[in-house]
Amino acid sequence: MIYWGGNPAECHPRHFTKYTIMQKGKYTQNGRKDRTMVLVDIRETPSAKAANLFLQIRPGKDFELITALRALIKGQRVNEDAVNETGLPLSKLEELVAKMKAARFGVIFFGMGLSMTRGKHMNSAAVLMLAAEMNAFTKFVAMPMRGHGNVTGADVVMRYTTGYPFGVNLCRGYPRFNPGEFSTVDLLVRGDVDACLVLGADPGATMPQPGIDHLAKIPTIVLDPKVTHTSRLARVHITTAATGVSAPGTVYRMDEIPLPLRPALKSPYPTDEEVVRRIREAVKRRPAWLPGRNGKAVM
Amino acid sequence: MITLTLKQQPTVPLEAENICPDVVAGLTHDAVRALPVYHGKRQCRLDEFFDVGQAFQPDGQAGKPNLRTDEATELEIHGDCSRVKWIGRGMTRGRIKVVGNAGMHLGSGMTGGVIEVTGNASDWVGAEMKDGLIRIHGNAGGQVGAAYRGSLAGMAGGTILIGGNAGLEVGMRMKRGIIAVGGVVRDFAGLQMKGGTLVLLGGAEIRTGAWMFRGTIVSLKPIKLLPTFSYSCEYEPSFLRIYAKHLRTLGVTIPIDGGMYQRFTGDTSLPGKGEILVWQAQS
Repeated sequence: MIYWGGNPAECHPRHFTKYTIMQKGKYTQNGRKDRTMVLVDIRETPSAKAANLFLQIRPGKDFELITALRALIKGQRVNEDAVNETGLPLSKLEELVAKMKAARFGVIFFGMGLSMTRGKHMNSAAVLMLAAEMNAFTKFVAMPMRGHGNVTGADVVMRYTTGYPFGVNLCRGYPRFNPGEFSTVDLLVRGDVDACLVLGADPGATMPQPGIDHLAKIPTIVLDPKVTHTSRLARVHITTAATGVSAPGTVYRMDEIPLPLRPALKSPYPTDEEVVRRIREAVKRRPAWLPGRNGKAVM
Repeated sequence: MITLTLKQQPTVPLEAENICPDVVAGLTHDAVRALPVYHGKRQCRLDEFFDVGQAFQPDGQAGKPNLRTDEATELEIHGDCSRVKWIGRGMTRGRIKVVGNAGMHLGSGMTGGVIEVTGNASDWVGAEMKDGLIRIHGNAGGQVGAAYRGSLAGMAGGTILIGGNAGLEVGMRMKRGIIAVGGVVRDFAGLQMKGGTLVLLGGAEIRTGAWMFRGTIVSLKPIKLLPTFSYSCEYEPSFLRIYAKHLRTLGVTIPIDGGMYQRFTGDTSLPGKGEILVWQAQS
């Protein structure tokens, strides 16, 4: 069990007890005692107490380290001076490789300390490659530790409707995927969009400043149960029922298991689904923009 | 020569893959003006955004296609086209000159011809190109000559010359061809490179040559290398003499005499047989 760039003890407090290290399994009758946990992070967080091996690395050295690990598992040479710069001696890396190879079933959970620092998607790609290549020795998987509620759900639904999980453009009538060009943050920072519908997110609190400035400039519509940072700079805020509390629906757990939600309360507000459905019906009554749709060519 | 002048800045990016010599050649003035471009989700006419120069009828035969194909395949674009994407997509011949900036996907998948940009270009310049020449006088964005997401190989031939700096993942998964960058490139230059040559005259930021399989990266400035690269020797590569001679004809000078090249090989994480040559001037 490797946690990389995450702090599950504080950010995913039930992860240890419900899913990973504490549970007893068919081949892990003794629960925690049968498992080895490694934590890789840039600082000693409370999660380090739970770990058998804590590896403190220098910030922004994840990609270098994972790439070195990929070489080491294949018995290839690495440059020792360059490895030392990551904050770990080569012996520690070799110890980690030995532990990984000795495992019967390994899993790497990677958090935002990895995917949101310099290198971004390539850091995640490195972990995924490492896990894929470890399968030459033993069973290994990698899984991202998601930060917000139901991000996995958005990815899963986008994937089965368009074929791509995120960064999808449908302007030409068919899905095109190009993160960096079509991902939300890039579109907003470059000012490439002239309207924005925000659903279950608060970009006003998390985006870089140029993106927030652009959100304030264009017509932004927010659907949220509460007033968020984004609502303050939006033209329209539509209050909706809180999903799981007063609106039913399905959420996807981090491991892509769909979980149905039953509302406990009644809300005077419409659900997100109802609002989007009504917007969609109103849009449908407008003429199509693509030539050949509805038999009309619209310029 | 056909002159296009941007008269109105698009509010959202304009997808204009029809600004391409292959499309324009043989068309009448009216037909060129009516070419479809995509402004966001809306299909528009080319002349809604560009003034199409009249000069294109060399012999004054209005309504007739251009007789001289060599002239009809030359395009000159004026104005800040930094939001005009896909200029010269898949072009096979002719010439495009952008006086100003160019947007994303400039000359992507091109198989011939020449593109010149006097200002800056954006991401994905010459992505997956097969042949031809792209010359950017200013800066370029990321993914120059790269493979699109999910695609196995980037540029398979041709030349990209960039005067200024370039962004992330320059030459990602490139297979053949030459990219030369005058300024500094950002992280992941030559990422997963499969072949070809990347010449970095101004050096690079970090993680150069990450996961490279084959190919050559030449840097004239000392660069930071990944732990998976190892030093092999210091030498004068004879093939580089031929490259230098070729590049000199394109206006790029790389030193051969008065120093040596340090050769690093990697990336052992694959393991790959790529090489990074770092220039060491004789002290």
